[in-house]
Amino acid sequence: MDSASQSQVADPTNIAWEQRKRRLLPYAYLSPTLILLAALTVVPIATVFLYSLVDNVIVNPNPPVFVGLENYEEVLTHRKFRGALSNTMYFSLVSVAAHFVIGLSFALLLNSRLLGANVKAVFRVIYILPWVFTASIIAILWRLLMNPHGVINFVLLELGLVEELQEFLSDRRLALNAVTFINIWSGYPFYLVSFLAGLQGIPDDLYEAGRVDGGNAWQLFLNITLPQLKPIIISLALLDFIWTIHQFTLIWMTTGGGPMRSTEVLSTYTYKAAFSSHEYSIASTIAMVILVMCTFVAVFYVRSQRMVDE
Amino acid sequence: MKKLVGLLIIALLLVPGVSMAQDVVLEFQQWWEPELPEGSFRAILDDFEAANPGIRVETISGPYLTTKDQIIASAATGTMADVVGLDGAWVNVLWKQGALHSLSQAMEDAMYDDSELAAQIQLAGETYMIPIANFIYPVFVNLDMLAAAGIDPPSTRAEFSAAAVALTDPDNNVYGWAQPLSLEQPNGIQNDTMSWVWASGGSMLDDMGQPNLVDNELLASTMAYIKSLHDAGVVAPGAFAMKENEKVEEFVNERVAMIINTLAHFTLIRERNPDLNFDITALPAAEGYDGPRGLPYASWGIGISSNTEHKAEAWKLIDYLTSVEGNTKLTSIANAFPGNVNATPDFIQTDPLFITAFEIFQEGFLANEFTGLPAAEELMRQFDEPFQFYLEGEMELEEFLEIAQEEWEDIFS
Amino acid sequence: MIGSRREILTRKFLLWIALLLGACFAGLPVLWMVASSFKSNLEIFAYPPALIDHSFSFAAYEAVLSDPGQLRFFFNSYLVAIMVTICTVITSILAGYSLSRYDFPFKKALSLVIIGVQSVPPITLMIPYFGLIVWLRIYNTYTALVLTYMVFTLSYAIIMMTGYFNTLPRDLDEAVMIDGGGSFVTLWRILVPISLPGIVAVGVYTFMLAWNEFLFALTLTRTNDMRTVPIGIHLLMGQHSFEWNQMLALSVLGSLPVLILFLLFQRYFIAGMSAGSIKG
Repeated sequence: MDSASQSQVADPTNIAWEQRKRRLLPYAYLSPTLILLAALTVVPIATVFLYSLVDNVIVNPNPPVFVGLENYEEVLTHRKFRGALSNTMYFSLVSVAAHFVIGLSFALLLNSRLLGANVKAVFRVIYILPWVFTASIIAILWRLLMNPHGVINFVLLELGLVEELQEFLSDRRLALNAVTFINIWSGYPFYLVSFLAGLQGIPDDLYEAGRVDGGNAWQLFLNITLPQLKPIIISLALLDFIWTIHQFTLIWMTTGGGPMRSTEVLSTYTYKAAFSSHEYSIASTIAMVILVMCTFVAVFYVRSQRMVDE
Repeated sequence: MKKLVGLLIIALLLVPGVSMAQDVVLEFQQWWEPELPEGSFRAILDDFEAANPGIRVETISGPYLTTKDQIIASAATGTMADVVGLDGAWVNVLWKQGALHSLSQAMEDAMYDDSELAAQIQLAGETYMIPIANFIYPVFVNLDMLAAAGIDPPSTRAEFSAAAVALTDPDNNVYGWAQPLSLEQPNGIQNDTMSWVWASGGSMLDDMGQPNLVDNELLASTMAYIKSLHDAGVVAPGAFAMKENEKVEEFVNERVAMIINTLAHFTLIRERNPDLNFDITALPAAEGYDGPRGLPYASWGIGISSNTEHKAEAWKLIDYLTSVEGNTKLTSIANAFPGNVNATPDFIQTDPLFITAFEIFQEGFLANEFTGLPAAEELMRQFDEPFQFYLEGEMELEEFLEIAQEEWEDIFS
Repeated sequence: MIGSRREILTRKFLLWIALLLGACFAGLPVLWMVASSFKSNLEIFAYPPALIDHSFSFAAYEAVLSDPGQLRFFFNSYLVAIMVTICTVITSILAGYSLSRYDFPFKKALSLVIIGVQSVPPITLMIPYFGLIVWLRIYNTYTALVLTYMVFTLSYAIIMMTGYFNTLPRDLDEAVMIDGGGSFVTLWRILVPISLPGIVAVGVYTFMLAWNEFLFALTLTRTNDMRTVPIGIHLLMGQHSFEWNQMLALSVLGSLPVLILFLLFQRYFIAGMSAGSIKG
């Protein structure tokens, strides 16, 4: 709307055109995203949905048979599925909560006024270190560290914190917590970076006003920082929850779902169904169940977005 | 002069262009190239190309652990390579998928005499995979540790457990045996568990080739024997998450005195720890068994895609790799036993350890009942899970075998 | 600030302790990785373990750096990650602006779709997605990788940008609109400059994901000249040979440029920069 168009504002047909343009504008901004997603995800997701309704797909000499919701019944009533579901929930909820706490604490530390710029720069780099490695190498590294004859056991023994070697990844009492810990370690920098960015968006005058009202640091944090970060926190937690449910490489390469299924999560369970038992219909069905679960969380997110707007 | 040079350049540009247009390009997907010394695999293929003008081989190499998934995905989308490397544990699923061309057919078309082939993996009466390199799994023993304890390499189960007890010293982090039971790579069930059954002439299948885990006396007593080793504390810690490669690292670091392991790791072990004084011996048999001992093995097998337009050329490549010349070259660089009965890789004459291995091989027989079974890897995994419960003392022997039997029957049906 | 000198000193002391503890948590495992990459493969598994031992050498680094195949992996990783980052950032700014500043029919449904597409576990999508890429004739190309990673990164990028734009007061762009600026002008001249911290966060995230992804990079490429560093790492973990020190060296080398990039961009996180401009 440069000056030329402004001068024609009086023209009624032009106003109608301008109004239509205004209505279409948000779709125009969204179009690159929508075109890409439609082109690349609709067909594969529809295919997976279709697979979940039939039997004999991909690795099977017999023609596919439509079985309706039978696969869903089989999956949902299987005891291994329920075990995997509860492990997934534990793994995801603990990871998300810990990511949030660690990410925010580190972001606040790095945002402190008491530190010099160079100190902050160095620690920022140290703090995002876990993020720059691919999941397989993180799995390999932690297998080395957590090996019964690894450095963690050595340090714990030397300090007298444990009496004997701990089998972090092969003891069913420890394994789920061990893989959750690894996931926490590898995932928090994503929160850290997002919070560092979010903290910059909080106007200083809010804090000044808060101090004038006599708030201490804790009160400022509760009344200003947290509410201001709320949109980012909700987005992060939602996405992290979805990603953690999908976390595969890390668990697969450290424990493979063992020992004794103690770290079996939905993603490893799905992988085994697809590429070990070659039951693609079952794998697709589990995928659809995960999709429904995530959609519930996403609906919650979309609702919370409205509240932010208002 | 200038003109001449110009013509020459054009001619040079044209020559490869013309020949390339006529060449048949074979895609060869396998995981072997990264396993072998740099450039050595390509050299064999160059020899093949030189002997077969008009065929070029393009290698598609990937990591071993994901090769099966990649082949299944490419078969499902019609992009499978013409020739593929196969593991005995996958051949069944690819065959079911209709991804493999019958090699019996290919041999017939080429009027090939298969008398030189050591083995062929058949499904429904036709060959789909030919093992071209075989890696046997004897017991590796640390001679220095055995000598320090004053014992000889064990030959029976009783001797083995006595040796394992004598060699174990938890205070110094030394153990008699290591058993990798990771659920990510459950091949420890094949190589380090079921192998004990095969070594005593037993089987996990019945005469019809169906699962036979329940009321199988030898199998049950073998599992009880392995549990007794775990209960005696002679097995290296971390077994439930251990992978094959970590088992080897424990051995080269002299924290484990005896492992069942593939001959393919020979060079690696020597490079890692040149001071390690080790020998190989046959897998111990049950008391009173004096028949031939089953020897677990893994193969690099080869097969042809059912979608290929170059079946004749693909067969020529297999023909070369299974010929005396090609097979000798490949098995020499891979430290493998040949798939051609007349091929003799160099190391068999020169390396004393391989001479021992060859003797073990001749006295026993190759045994790997998982080869060609449906979803073989899943069978191992479904056996591994209740096995861990049993070893941990949370399940009785009968219950463990019944669960495994049930899961296996499910996969077979 | 009210507070005596001593109070500030104690605070500084506590802050430093917290900082150092955090650095141990984040950095010690990585330190162990770096130290191990200089060891021999035998010593990596030695017990008792030592940070540095007699086997210290640059052999693993020499092996990686002298292999043209490995260098090609680096080149591919950079090319793909940079292209993905640029495309994702631009696309997500446009989409985030739309979702943050406009109300329109189906807005909620579209937001749901944007999140929903990444709710299906990637492993199950692999085979049908692979088929689609082959059908589109972009199998074994950079294009396939770039588009695929955009599908993965866009959800977060859009949500992040929407959230970030939502924290910026609306009067800001309305002022520009009243002055006669179009919506596009408002976006690029006003919102984008003050949103740089958010944009950098999205960019860093996108780059990391594209740099580290393994499964699709392997499935959608077939020749080594198209493959990325994570595949190079897996190729060192074979059936019969496993080069731990080279694997670790390769990932250490891979992480260095990423860290340098992060160092360069982190000035956008410096406190007060955007806060000041919002007030203005």
